[in-house]
Amino acid sequence: MKPLTWGIGLLVLAALAIMPFFVTSYIVSFTIQTFMWVALAGSWNLISGFTGYVSFGHVAFFGTGAYTGALLISKAGWPWLPAGLAGSVTAAALALLIGYPCLRLKGPYFAIAMLGLNEVVRALISYFEDFTGGGSGISLPPILSIEPVYYAMGLSAVSVTLLTYVIITSQFGLRLLSIREDEIAAEAMGINTARLKLYAFLLSAVFPGIVGGFYAWYASHIEPLGTFPLLTTITMIIMCLFGGKGTVWGPVLGAVLLSVFQELVWARFLFVHQALFGALIVAVVLLLPKGILGVLQERYRLPRAI
Amino acid sequence: MGPCWKVRVRELLALLTALAVVLIGQAGTVGAQAGKPILIGASISMTGTYAKLGNYTRDGYLLCAKEVNDQGGLLGRKIEFVIYDDRSDPPTAIKLYEKLITEDKVELVMGPYSSPITNAASTVSEKHRKIMVASLAATTSIWERGYKYLFMTISPAEVYMEGLIELAAERGLKTVAIINEDTLFSKAAAKGAADLARKKGMRVVLHEAYPKGTTDFSALLIKMKALNPDVIVAGSYFDDAVATTRQMKELDVNPKMFGVTVGGDVPDFGKQLGKTAEYVYGSTQWADNIPYPGAKEFVQNYKKMFNREFSYHAPAAYGACQVFAEAIRRANSLDPDKIREQLLRLKMTTAFGDYQVDARGFQIAHKMVLLQWQEGKRVTVWPPQLSDGKSIYPTPPWNQRR
Repeated sequence: MKPLTWGIGLLVLAALAIMPFFVTSYIVSFTIQTFMWVALAGSWNLISGFTGYVSFGHVAFFGTGAYTGALLISKAGWPWLPAGLAGSVTAAALALLIGYPCLRLKGPYFAIAMLGLNEVVRALISYFEDFTGGGSGISLPPILSIEPVYYAMGLSAVSVTLLTYVIITSQFGLRLLSIREDEIAAEAMGINTARLKLYAFLLSAVFPGIVGGFYAWYASHIEPLGTFPLLTTITMIIMCLFGGKGTVWGPVLGAVLLSVFQELVWARFLFVHQALFGALIVAVVLLLPKGILGVLQERYRLPRAI
Repeated sequence: MGPCWKVRVRELLALLTALAVVLIGQAGTVGAQAGKPILIGASISMTGTYAKLGNYTRDGYLLCAKEVNDQGGLLGRKIEFVIYDDRSDPPTAIKLYEKLITEDKVELVMGPYSSPITNAASTVSEKHRKIMVASLAATTSIWERGYKYLFMTISPAEVYMEGLIELAAERGLKTVAIINEDTLFSKAAAKGAADLARKKGMRVVLHEAYPKGTTDFSALLIKMKALNPDVIVAGSYFDDAVATTRQMKELDVNPKMFGVTVGGDVPDFGKQLGKTAEYVYGSTQWADNIPYPGAKEFVQNYKKMFNREFSYHAPAAYGACQVFAEAIRRANSLDPDKIREQLLRLKMTTAFGDYQVDARGFQIAHKMVLLQWQEGKRVTVWPPQLSDGKSIYPTPPWNQRR
């Protein structure tokens, strides 16, 4: 990246860092949720945007992280920050468990397996009632100040974006992209595709686990139905596609634009906002299949690592 | 990419621009309402899973505001509700209460619809030291978190089946089987029924949960048929209540009493099941034939204002708002600590029934009623002082019905 780009990036970060001191807690709360979406869409991008393996169950990692965080806070008395970070461990463990066998599947089978994973994790959490509270969920102590969560979520979002940049500019990233373009050719060139896919998958599970843990603290109550909705996975996919999959800034752009869009539309057009959102999704898929950045890249010869 | 791309992208941009213009145009109209009236904020599920019941909740608030204003308002000022849609989503409700309190600067807030959303939203009101009169949250655990400014106005989930268990115990029944949907409210209701039954010396022979969205209850029902319990309790919502009842008939399961927690109280239960609904017990927070003061007027005014049928959620929201208004009148101030003091001390009966809370803000006076479907009508059969009929006992076996 050029020094100018770095300069602008640092300026934006600095502005975001001091923002909570100047705005209402509504804006802070809204930004927390936007950060969360940036981290989630960016994480989905790491596996699905780079390798082309569509994960329809990414919310499973988010939910696992949320339950890890909530259990550590409520049962073990951990402070929320380490409890949230610990979500990454369980999410990565789950990714290893499911990714090792399933990433050998090619084509749509991986997507279907992931869809199943989400249901299985949810059912297990509902079943082990004594430990997880079952359908009643887990209540956490009230959160007195949301600013710390703002910084934690913000750092997660920044980390995912930085990680994506590091990957896309590395050989690892190139190999992942070669899997997306033609997996058999990649294998023929000596790339251990199964192992690389697993690495990408593990990385893509870590941050949903962390933001899941922070989310549990922020929402102060979690239960299986609200923590594992398919809609969350779909939203991360849409955000990533809208901005541009396989790019650094695509998920960020998609998450920010769609969050703002939803916030404005839903507040003003109560009964048509879902229809408008749906129309937008259709428009993106039909008109911008490569996302905003994908189209810009093609037209203006932008660098690959954007 | 050929030239057709350029056109398409341009069209999309034009569409987005048009949309943006509309949005910015709309933005000016919100927030212009500062000034005289007391603003009361609430988020309501107007879209999403809870939309139907959420809208009744909103109706209740609006009707209450109209009546309070017709009587001269509060502390000499009119009141006005600022209501947003939370899409039946707890994190959205969190965001909205932040918006209501910090941007719209509402002076008071009232609760949203449903326990999960109240659970989440109350963290915001508590943080900002705003009283929240939670008109439609029935889950006890919400009041076990030590919140200072959160008040409950409806009966808790645990007592939903109190009437059924009372009646069963009076008749000397000994065994009860309980099934429930595995969600916050239904679970609490089922557990409450089990505890009450044990307290009355009955034996709980089965207590099992099924996941939300279950449509086939035959495995559970066959198990129950083998145990042949005197009483069957279903901790249900509407769809599962209907399905369970229908499948009990198909499988010829014959308890002496069968009751459902939620679902049995709505007119559609009888419409969908027809004669199969006969003798089924349902519980409800409120019924329009209970002679609470102002209940008749409420029904008339509701029909006049909204011109449609409603469920208990409307009077519950209305009653909660009346309680809040009364506490503010007595406190003669909008100071949260002064209102809190009055809400803790207040005993009153609204069109929705009795209000009194303990030191946690937890409801202790409001009574659930038990109804039974008789000849296609809902007859209130418990508690005796609010009843307009007697329960028909025992429920005849399916093969002996007309």
